[in-house]
Amino acid sequence: MSAATTPPVIALKGLKKRYGMGDAEQTVLDGIDLKIERGEFIAIMGPSGCGKTSLLNILGLLDHADDGDYLLDGRSVDTISNGRRARIRSEQIGFVFQSFNLIPRLNVIDNVALPLTYKGISKTKRLLEASKILSTFHLSEREYYMPWQLSGGQSQRVAIARALVNDPSIILADEPTGNLDSRSSHVIMEELSDIHQRGNTIIMVTHNPNLTSYASRVITMLDGKIATDTKAPRQKRSKSALKRRLDAQRKTVKKPKKTTPKKSKKGAK
Amino acid sequence: MHMRLLVLYHLSCAYESLRSNRSRTILTILGVTIGIASIIVIMALSAGASRIISDQVDNLGGAVAVVRPGTTDTEPQLNNITSALAGNKTASNLTEYDLEDVVEVKGITSAAPLMIIGGDVTAGDNTPKEVSIIATTPELIDVTDLTIREGQFMDTVTSRETAVIGAQLAVDLFGTEQAAGRTFQTHGKTFTVIGILKRSNNPINYNNVDFDHAAIISLESGKLFNQNVASIQQINIRAINNEQLPSIIKQVNKKIAQNHFGEQDFTILAGSELARPASELFYAIGATLTIVAGISLLVGGIGVMNIMLVGVAERTREIGIRKALGASNSHIVWQFLLESLVMGLLGGLLGYGLGYVVAFAVARTFLTFNPVFNWEIVGMTLGIALVVGLLFGLYPAIRAARKDPIKSLRQYH
Repeated sequence: MSAATTPPVIALKGLKKRYGMGDAEQTVLDGIDLKIERGEFIAIMGPSGCGKTSLLNILGLLDHADDGDYLLDGRSVDTISNGRRARIRSEQIGFVFQSFNLIPRLNVIDNVALPLTYKGISKTKRLLEASKILSTFHLSEREYYMPWQLSGGQSQRVAIARALVNDPSIILADEPTGNLDSRSSHVIMEELSDIHQRGNTIIMVTHNPNLTSYASRVITMLDGKIATDTKAPRQKRSKSALKRRLDAQRKTVKKPKKTTPKKSKKGAK
Repeated sequence: MHMRLLVLYHLSCAYESLRSNRSRTILTILGVTIGIASIIVIMALSAGASRIISDQVDNLGGAVAVVRPGTTDTEPQLNNITSALAGNKTASNLTEYDLEDVVEVKGITSAAPLMIIGGDVTAGDNTPKEVSIIATTPELIDVTDLTIREGQFMDTVTSRETAVIGAQLAVDLFGTEQAAGRTFQTHGKTFTVIGILKRSNNPINYNNVDFDHAAIISLESGKLFNQNVASIQQINIRAINNEQLPSIIKQVNKKIAQNHFGEQDFTILAGSELARPASELFYAIGATLTIVAGISLLVGGIGVMNIMLVGVAERTREIGIRKALGASNSHIVWQFLLESLVMGLLGGLLGYGLGYVVAFAVARTFLTFNPVFNWEIVGMTLGIALVVGLLFGLYPAIRAARKDPIKSLRQYH
């Protein structure tokens, strides 16, 4: 419906990327055509070396395509300067990495506030924004922890908070659960799903087929080309995801209830 | 606004990063500190040396000029800091007739010759090595910054065989500064000491004479020792005031030139020119030492660059993260550049402090004057420190900014 009036958030046409030279030349992306609408949650699957990460790097403006067009929010980003690319990264793109990539010298809140720094927002406002977003991830009491004091799941939630803090148009996640156990993985996927529910566009690269159930669209890649592109019945999936999340929340809410009767029992005794 | 906030942010980043590597930061800063300190020592001391003479002129009210034989080109006299003009190789062509003509010029309150005679002075068994015999007229006390500590200076009625001697010479000859009335011999004549000069501790002055080691005798006696010819190395002139000094110099010039058949074989110096011979030497020494200090500063700067390159290599992954989160190349350049600038500036400030401590220690121990503080030196030091930080931080910073974010993110740490 809205696609007719607003351009897709990402439009790729014949995108090509090669590495190396001469005999060692290797084509990692071989003519990718792709349209991504606002509010989609896309999972990109495929074997190692199929070009998933290269695609993500180009989408995130960390890398240049050798050939083809890339329109971000309807505007071509092929020929713009490095400075403008940095600007777009800071304003429109949020990155989530497999290895979290928190800066070890900075505490949690400074890490989360980092993208706002490059937008030129004052320190007080930066910290306020970062604090706000951390509270939605239930990390308020961890604001002044250092990254090494966090568990993997917490680190990744901090990283997601950092990706979201500047309210980007798209979130690019490169195997966000790759370094996490299955329980933390699902917590992270719930978070991403929740963010998606709030209307964010997410593009996620993953190896884990179980996680595609959270996505609204699954793309598989092979040898630098898109092999399959299937839209998942979005409503149902997200509903179930939301339901699971609510269940999980209910469980956590129940916990303190369990303790209160104990206390009352003690009181009764 | 945007830029200012970022500078503040990068400054706090720099502070954090420097603090987290404390010992390495301190050692790097120390390198810059030592370089800056040696420059400070040299600048403060050479400025101090050249100020001595201008202070002496100021003590006399400023309206002082001197006439010296020879032209400016042939008259460096740079070797005469502590020794007398006696070592001068060119024969003086200033005579007492020139002096007589100079005195007649209107506006001159007094003028005195300095005739420096070679030879020893002896009292008993003592023949001090370091001595200047100066033949002059009683007016010298008016045109030179001298104070009598004991007795009196020569005047028109004192006899030819009297002398005024410097405090150190009195000690060298008689073993005491209380030497009034004692006698010494020179050139086969006996002189009675009628006055002792107050110790000036000032071998650097526009007379090029160390008055602490001087024996001042009358011009008549001096002539006697020089086959009745007054060969004058310098005529000191004091004018009524500073405003008239230029016109007086012009008239003096005319008079002496007449005596010399129109030949300009003498030089008249006034104002800052008076300080020139001595300070030129000091600046020559200073320039040499500055080059040495500059080399130590260069080494300090290389230390800064080295540590910055290590820092950039260590933080490659951080650079990748920052770029992915929206940092532009210039953000990264500024982040690292401010770090090296902070190191340079801290080195500069510490070096400034250390430099003055050393300069004072050196001045108190070996020299007779104090180092000079002035804003020029402060500005120059901080400028040099910033330039060092900038120059040696720029390459690491640019290298940091040029890093490919994808490769940087892949780097394991």
